[in-house]
Amino acid sequence: MRPIRILAHRLLGLFRAHRADADFSAELESNVAMHTDDLVRAGLTPTEARRQALIRLGGAEQTRQAHRERRTLPWIESLLRDLTYAARTLAKHRGTTAIAILSIGLGIGANATIFSMVSRFVLRPAPMGDPTTLLALHTTHDGDRCCNPFSWPLYNQLRSDAKSFSGVAAYYELIPSSITGQSNPERVWGQGVSSNFFSVAQLPMQLGRGFVHGDENAPVVVLGSALWHRQFNADPRIIGKPITLSGHSYTVVGVVSPAFHGADQILYTEFWVPMSNVARLVPNLPNQESLESHWVEVLARLAPGVTRKEAGAELKTLTDHYALAFPKTENNGSIVFEQAGSLPSNVRANVVLFFAALSIVVLLVLSIAATNVANLLFAQAAPRQRDMAVRLAMGASAARLRRQLLVESLLMGLGGGCLGILLSLVADAALSSSQLPAPVPLDIQIGVDWRVLVYTLLLSIVSGTLLGVAPAWAASRPKLINALKGEDALARPGRRFTMRNLLVVVQIAMSVILLCITGLFLRSLQSASSINIGFRPKNILLASIDPRVDGYTAERTQQFIAMLRRQIAAIPGVDSVAVTDVAPLTDGNRSESFVAPGHTPTNSSGAGADLYMVTPDYFETLGIPRVSDSDFGSGGATGPRTAIVNRAFVDAVFGGENPLGQQVIGGGTTYQVIGVADNSKSRSLGEETRPILYRSLDRSIAEDPSLMGYTLLIHTVVDPNSVRDTVRRQIQSLDPTLAIYNEETMDEHVRTAYFLPRLAAELFGTFGFIGLVLAAVGLYSVMSYSVSRRTREIGIRMALGAQPGTVERLILRQGMVLTLIALVLGWPAAWMLAKMASSFLYGIQPNDALTFALVPPFLAVIALVACYIPARRAAAVDPMRALRAE
Amino acid sequence: MGDKTDVWQGTLSLMVLRTLETMGAQHGYGLARRIEQTSGDMLQLNYGTLYPALLKLEQEGFIRSKWGVSDNNRKAKFYELTRAGHRQLKKAAADWEQTTAILARFLTPANES
Repeated sequence: MRPIRILAHRLLGLFRAHRADADFSAELESNVAMHTDDLVRAGLTPTEARRQALIRLGGAEQTRQAHRERRTLPWIESLLRDLTYAARTLAKHRGTTAIAILSIGLGIGANATIFSMVSRFVLRPAPMGDPTTLLALHTTHDGDRCCNPFSWPLYNQLRSDAKSFSGVAAYYELIPSSITGQSNPERVWGQGVSSNFFSVAQLPMQLGRGFVHGDENAPVVVLGSALWHRQFNADPRIIGKPITLSGHSYTVVGVVSPAFHGADQILYTEFWVPMSNVARLVPNLPNQESLESHWVEVLARLAPGVTRKEAGAELKTLTDHYALAFPKTENNGSIVFEQAGSLPSNVRANVVLFFAALSIVVLLVLSIAATNVANLLFAQAAPRQRDMAVRLAMGASAARLRRQLLVESLLMGLGGGCLGILLSLVADAALSSSQLPAPVPLDIQIGVDWRVLVYTLLLSIVSGTLLGVAPAWAASRPKLINALKGEDALARPGRRFTMRNLLVVVQIAMSVILLCITGLFLRSLQSASSINIGFRPKNILLASIDPRVDGYTAERTQQFIAMLRRQIAAIPGVDSVAVTDVAPLTDGNRSESFVAPGHTPTNSSGAGADLYMVTPDYFETLGIPRVSDSDFGSGGATGPRTAIVNRAFVDAVFGGENPLGQQVIGGGTTYQVIGVADNSKSRSLGEETRPILYRSLDRSIAEDPSLMGYTLLIHTVVDPNSVRDTVRRQIQSLDPTLAIYNEETMDEHVRTAYFLPRLAAELFGTFGFIGLVLAAVGLYSVMSYSVSRRTREIGIRMALGAQPGTVERLILRQGMVLTLIALVLGWPAAWMLAKMASSFLYGIQPNDALTFALVPPFLAVIALVACYIPARRAAAVDPMRALRAE
Repeated sequence: MGDKTDVWQGTLSLMVLRTLETMGAQHGYGLARRIEQTSGDMLQLNYGTLYPALLKLEQEGFIRSKWGVSDNNRKAKFYELTRAGHRQLKKAAADWEQTTAILARFLTPANES
C-alpha cells in the first residue's frame, strides 16, 4: 500500500517538475529568510546573518538535487530524456527516418498480413463459450485417416452413454434455402441443429434465445446477425415473428452474436433450424435412422473437471462396446476428436506448411528491410562520430551512448510497426473480399486482432533492437583521435570488408532467394493460364436458381426450366441457352463409380467419374467439341436413361474402345452411352483430366434433385453483361419469389478458379518487388556512402592522372564484386528452398530452369543501375575541391 | 520505520513526527531549530537534509503541507501530522523504545549478576 502510494506520487512528480522545483526553491528561500531574521535579531549584520544561514542550510544545489531525486523517478526521467532526444534526432534526419520507417513498415506489414491469416485459420478459437472444453467428434473406420460424420442412431447412443460430457450436440452442416425479407429473394445457407446445440456451444445471443428442450419438432429458426441486418433491417422486434424459409413458415426465436457463422469456422452459414426440419429442406437425405448413413456432425462439451484424456479413454471403451453391439457397422470403428473450430487434422498439416512457407518469405522481406535500415543507420552514424567522440571524451559512458542509439532505432521499429498495421489493414480487407472457387459460402474474413497486434509489437521491438545493435556498437566506440580530427572514425585500419559490405551482401543474397521464389510463382501463374480448360469461356452469362427450395415439384421444375430456356433464347443477342446442375470449375459435383459390363475396370470398385445433369445444347453453349453428333432429346422423365461421356471416361471405363451404344452402370443406374465429348476441366484447374458422365437433366431431376440448384448457361453474341438485367427480369416475370444467385460471366467464373495460383503470384510478386526495391536502395546507399567517404582518395587518384572512366569502373567493380558474392551465396539457397514450394506450383518444376537462369542476370542489372549513379558521382569529383576540403 | 538499514533516516523521521505532534503545524526551519533545541544542541544538522526527509514522509502520507505565514510574517510552508502520521508515530515510538531497551540490556554494565 505505502510503496504504491509513493510510486504514484513520484510518477505524478514527473509531470509537474517545473512547478515543484519553483515551490521547493521558495521553501528553501523562506528557510534562509527566517534564519536570517533570527540571526539579525541576535545581533549580526544582515549580510553576515544571511551568510551564516546559507552555511547552516548546507549546499542549496545538493539539497535541491536530493529533493528532486526523491520527488520523481530518476530512471524514467532519463528514459524520457532519451526518448525526446531520439525523437528530435529522427525528426532532424527526416529523409533517413522516412525511408527507414517505410522499409520496416513494408516488412512488418507483410508479416502482419500473413500472421493475421495464421491467427484466423490456425490460432483463433471458435466463439463458443470456453473453447478449450468444446470438442468436435468424428468417426473413423478401420484406422482410416480422419474424418467421417456420425450416423443419427450412433449420435443418440453416444449422447445417452457418454459420462465425460455435460452435453453432446449434433448438427447438419449445410442446408440451401431461399429467404425473403425486405429485399430481393436471397439464397442463404443454414444448418440443422439438435435442440441442445446452443446450450452445449454456449453461444452468446444478440437477441432472443437459442433452442431449448421441446423445440425438437417446432418450426422455429435462429438467424445469423448479418442476415438479420441484411434482410430484416436489424428489426429489434423480430422475435416471435414468422419468416418464410424455402416456402415454409418459421418463427424467429433468436439472433446469434455477430461473431458466429458456424461451428467449424470455415463454412459461412446464416440460420439454424431444429434437426427434424432438415428432411423437408434437403432433398435425398440418406436414411436418417440407419447406422450406415453418416450425416451429422457432433460437438461435445467436457463435463467440469474431466480432461480430454479421460474423455478419450471413455470414448475408446464406448466404441469397443458399440463394436460388439452393432458388429455390422461399428466393427473397427473409433471416435476421434479435436478442439471445436480448429482445423480438422487431415488438412491442418498442409495449412500449417503453407503458412510456414509464407512466413519464411515475409520474414525474409523484413530482414532485407531491416538490413537496409541498419545500413542507412551506419551511413548516418559516420557523420555523428564527432559528436559521439566529443561526448565520450567529456566522460559519457559508452553504455549511455549505446542506449541512446538503441532508443532511436527502437522508435524507428515501433514507427514501422504502426505503418505495418495500417498496411496490413488494407491488405486484409483486399484478401477478405476475394472470391473463392467454392460452391458454398466460406468465411474467409481476416483482420487485425489482438494476436496480430501483440505479434506486430514484438516484431517491431525485435527488429528495432536488432537493426540498432550493430550501428550502436560501432558508433559508441569510435577511434577517438580520428574522430576529433574530423576523419572517419569508423574506418579501422586493415579492414577491406566492412560491416556495411557484409550487410549488403546478405541483403542481396536474400533478394536472390526471394526473387527466385517469386519467379517460380509467376511462372506457375503463367503455366496455369495456359491450361486448356476444354471449353470456351467467352460470352457466357451464368445465373443460378433453385426452384426446389421454393416448393417446386420435380415436374414443375422441369417445366419451369424448359419455359425459361425458351424465353431467354428469345432475348435479342442470345444465341444458345443450356441448363446444368453445377457449372464446370465450381467443385460441387456429385461423383459416382462406374463399370461397363464386359470390360474389366482398372480397380475393383470401378472408375470414379463426375456427374453432370445437362439439357440439350449444353455442348454448343460451352463450345465443348463432340466426337459424335447426338445430343439429349428434350424428352420427359420417361424413356431410357442415356449418357454422353468424355474421352477420359472412355479410357477409364471402356479401356479406350468405342462406347457408343454400350451400357455403363453407376450408383445403381444403367445408362446407355449415346455420345462422346472432348475432355474438359471439371472441378479445378490443377486437376488431372477427370472422367465425366453427362446425363439428361429432364430425365434425372425427379430421382436425383440437385442440392446446388440449377445454373443457366447463356451464350451471347453481344457483351454478356448487357443481357444480365433482361435475364433477371425474365426469371422474375415467371416467378418473383425465386432467389437468383451466382450471377456472373463465365470469364469471371474461370478467373475465380485461378484463385490459388493468382493469390500466390500476387503475394509473391508483391513481396519480391518490395524485396528487390529494398535491396537496390540498400546497394545504392552503401555505394554512395563509400563514394562520399572516399572523395579525398578519388581526388588524389585523379590528381595523379586517373581518368574519370577509370574511377567509374573502380566504383562499379566494387559494387559488382559484392553482388557476385551475394549471388554465389543466395542462388544455391534458393535452389534448396524452392523444393518447399513445389506442392503449390502449377505445371512447373520447383527447379524451373528459366527462373533460375533469369534471376541472377536480372539482379545483376538492377545492381549495376544502383551502383552506376554513385559511380558517376565519383567520376565527377573535382580533384582540386576534393583535396582542399577539410 | 521505513528503511531499517538507514538508522539516521529512520530516527530523523521519528524526531520530525514527534516534534510535529508536540508543536502542531510547523515549518521546516522551525522544525530544524526545535530538533536542535530538544537534543540539547547535541545534534547539529544541516537544515537542508531535513527537506528530503519531509518529502518522503509526505509521500508516505504521514504528514501534509500547505503554505502559510510565520510568526514573523514570512511566507513559509507548514507541515502537520495526518491521522496516519499519528498512528505511525505511536508504532515507530514503540518499536524504538523496544529496540533501545534491548540494546540497553546489552550495554549496561553487568552489575546485577
